[in-house]
Amino acid sequence: MVEAIAAPPTGEVEPISQRGSLWQDAWHQLRRRVTFWLSALILTVAVAMAVFPGLFTSLGPNEGCNVRRARVRPSDAAIFGFDNQGCEYWSQVVYGARPSILIGLAVTVFSLLIAIVLGLLAGYYGGWVDGLISRLTDIFFGIPFVLGATVVLIAFPERGIWAMTLVLVLLGWTTMTRIMRGQVLAVKDTDYVRAARGLGAGDLRIMRKHILPNAIAPVFIVAMLNVGNVISGEATLDYLGVGLQFPEVSWGLQLNVARSFFFEFPHLLIFPGLFLTATVLSFLMLGDVVRDALDPKLR
Amino acid sequence: MKNVVRRAGWAAVLTAAALVAGACGGGGGGGGEGQKASRFSVALTEPDHLTPGATSSSYSITVLQAIFEPLVEIDPKTGKPVMLAAESITSTDQKVWTIKIKPGQKFHNGEPVTAESFADAWNATAYAPNGWTNNYYFENVVGYEDLNPEEEGAKPKADKLSGLKVVDPNTLEVTLKAPFSQFPIMLAYTGFAPMPKAAFADLKAYDVKPIGNGPFMLDGEWQRNRLIKTKAFKEYGGPRKPKSEGIDFKIYASRDTAYVDLRANKVDLLTTIPAANVSEAKGLLGDRFVSTPGGTMDYLGFPVYDKRYAKPELRKAISMAIDREGIVQAVFNGTYKPMGSLVPPLVPGYREGICGEACKFDPAKAKQLFDQAGGFTGTLNLYFSNADPSYEQWMQAVANQLTQNLGIKDIKFRKIPAADYLKTLREHKQDGPYRNNWVMDYPSPQNYLESMWGAGNRMGWENKEFQELIEKANSAPSMEASIPLYQQAEDLAIKEMPMAPLWNWQDQAGYSKNIENVTIDAYSANLDQITVKK
Repeated sequence: MVEAIAAPPTGEVEPISQRGSLWQDAWHQLRRRVTFWLSALILTVAVAMAVFPGLFTSLGPNEGCNVRRARVRPSDAAIFGFDNQGCEYWSQVVYGARPSILIGLAVTVFSLLIAIVLGLLAGYYGGWVDGLISRLTDIFFGIPFVLGATVVLIAFPERGIWAMTLVLVLLGWTTMTRIMRGQVLAVKDTDYVRAARGLGAGDLRIMRKHILPNAIAPVFIVAMLNVGNVISGEATLDYLGVGLQFPEVSWGLQLNVARSFFFEFPHLLIFPGLFLTATVLSFLMLGDVVRDALDPKLR
Repeated sequence: MKNVVRRAGWAAVLTAAALVAGACGGGGGGGGEGQKASRFSVALTEPDHLTPGATSSSYSITVLQAIFEPLVEIDPKTGKPVMLAAESITSTDQKVWTIKIKPGQKFHNGEPVTAESFADAWNATAYAPNGWTNNYYFENVVGYEDLNPEEEGAKPKADKLSGLKVVDPNTLEVTLKAPFSQFPIMLAYTGFAPMPKAAFADLKAYDVKPIGNGPFMLDGEWQRNRLIKTKAFKEYGGPRKPKSEGIDFKIYASRDTAYVDLRANKVDLLTTIPAANVSEAKGLLGDRFVSTPGGTMDYLGFPVYDKRYAKPELRKAISMAIDREGIVQAVFNGTYKPMGSLVPPLVPGYREGICGEACKFDPAKAKQLFDQAGGFTGTLNLYFSNADPSYEQWMQAVANQLTQNLGIKDIKFRKIPAADYLKTLREHKQDGPYRNNWVMDYPSPQNYLESMWGAGNRMGWENKEFQELIEKANSAPSMEASIPLYQQAEDLAIKEMPMAPLWNWQDQAGYSKNIENVTIDAYSANLDQITVKK
């Protein structure tokens, strides 16, 4: 996609013939926005931290800790100071990126897949299939987030990244499913779908070739905005003590420890807080500019 | 229009004033009686039981000390017993003890406190089918076996200890199997409190509304996870006459929340300020912050029955890989004392640093010893309860140190809900080092050594020589003569190291602006002495 429009013609006005699909248009829109580049930059750094922490620090997670240096404030030797266990805070904060971003992306991808499948089925077939899926969505929609997550997580004595992902998917697929269903309902009766059906296309082909591409954009936007929400949700559960636990390193856990020392050692709260906020905000901003770009009505 | 607005304004002010006044009354505890009641509140976490024989939890003991009058209490200055419900406790051979009970004492329901009240309570505690925690305190009383058959679940031959004889309503004669010099001191423990006849009609109901003989009595049932309400017992005639009208024991889910309430003067006394908050509390509370050297010790126990922990060298290596001083500084703000002995300084016979190098932080030696012992395979699980966030903090430091100093990479936490924790340990379900904590019952090395290293201990450690030394010490003719023998036993337990000492607590208490005359010592919070400011 990116390559396809890599060489736009010179000059500010694009000839009509060069206009591509919705996605190509969106890209043209996006790259003119400062917000897009800013959030993309922050996210690149954050993702790099998650994937290649070795680029940023030579220490491993929970490595080289010495309690005798606990909570030492930032200095030239250690720019972020030391945490409550006397581990170098900079490298701990770097390692904190992985669970947040991994969970944020994994939850969103899985929720998106569930939403696409269920939304397509419900919207396309209607009738009892729709009834069943919609009621199921209602039930899950009604579960309060923190309460539901706490109850489920207590059942996992070893709460790792995948248990967290499962819980967050379980509680997070509903909104996207509803939107997907609504989109499918809107697209289902369009002329091109009828035409395809008239030409003898099967249900599967119609769904895949005609409905999905035209219904996905709004769901995709919600998914992008969702990544940020999932990350902050994960941090919330860590903070409450029902999420990840040692030896995992995460921003939420760091904030949990920091809350007792905020007045005396603000650096413990500020650094993971800053990273968490920047990442969540970047995902939200990115979602926002993508929505602007994809939604023709907002242009 | 303007007028109306103004009137509404005044009404709002009046309502606000009324609300503030109401809030003040509520803060005092009483409320509703017109005058401010002189009640105060004490922060607790949920106790397990309130039947004296059935609990050894420190939170229960705080309550029980207020609602029960034991035979003796311990003078915090000398560590010697002072008579409370007893008139005298005497023996010529340290084996047959005669307890004279002060006449005229009453239970909260009006029943007289007699020798039989003690005998009944003790028999019930010693009776195996009841399954009460303090059962083992009666092992040394003649007839214990008849109440505690060898096979589990078997019906005992008797339900009364033959060694307990009610001579007359005010005299109880206790015959021990072997001489036990520490007996009078032991009686200060709330596990030896008396119970009225009324208790035995329904022990379950008694557990939530115990009837005692102490300065305070329960006012309504124990509201689980919320409140234990007490009021002064008018007919109490002992030396601990209450200076307030009652105590509300407010139950918190964690000490953290309790501390937040103390800071806001919403709860009046917190005897266990979380270590993480100590330095803040010192500044915030000023002279309302009280620090007392305590008898409480933290240990790291090893499951000796697990093959991987069977070698003393490995256990010592782990002990030596732990930087006690560093953890005390980082997690407890330097308020606890790193320990190099199994008993705390408060106890007679304490020897500083007797553990030697096995309790000193020495990563190089630790690693050497660790390799000699053949290293460690599999996951090292660390067990602790979720009762307090500081447990996780120091366990994290221990985990980091074991990884760094011994190279054990695979370390996991097993955080057990507080209510199930001791059960897990008792049933030997732990397959890794665990947090073990001992709150002193009475100041004798015997209380530590025999209770934790003696028969049926949580580590699954068995040592005949140790057992014999304890028995010899217990039968020594006097307290003084017993000390060297206890010390020999301690040396043995250090050599084998089935459980490593970590640190000795200093109890950090704080109280609100509403109360005064707070005198906390190592044995009691002396709640009866506390007065509420007018």
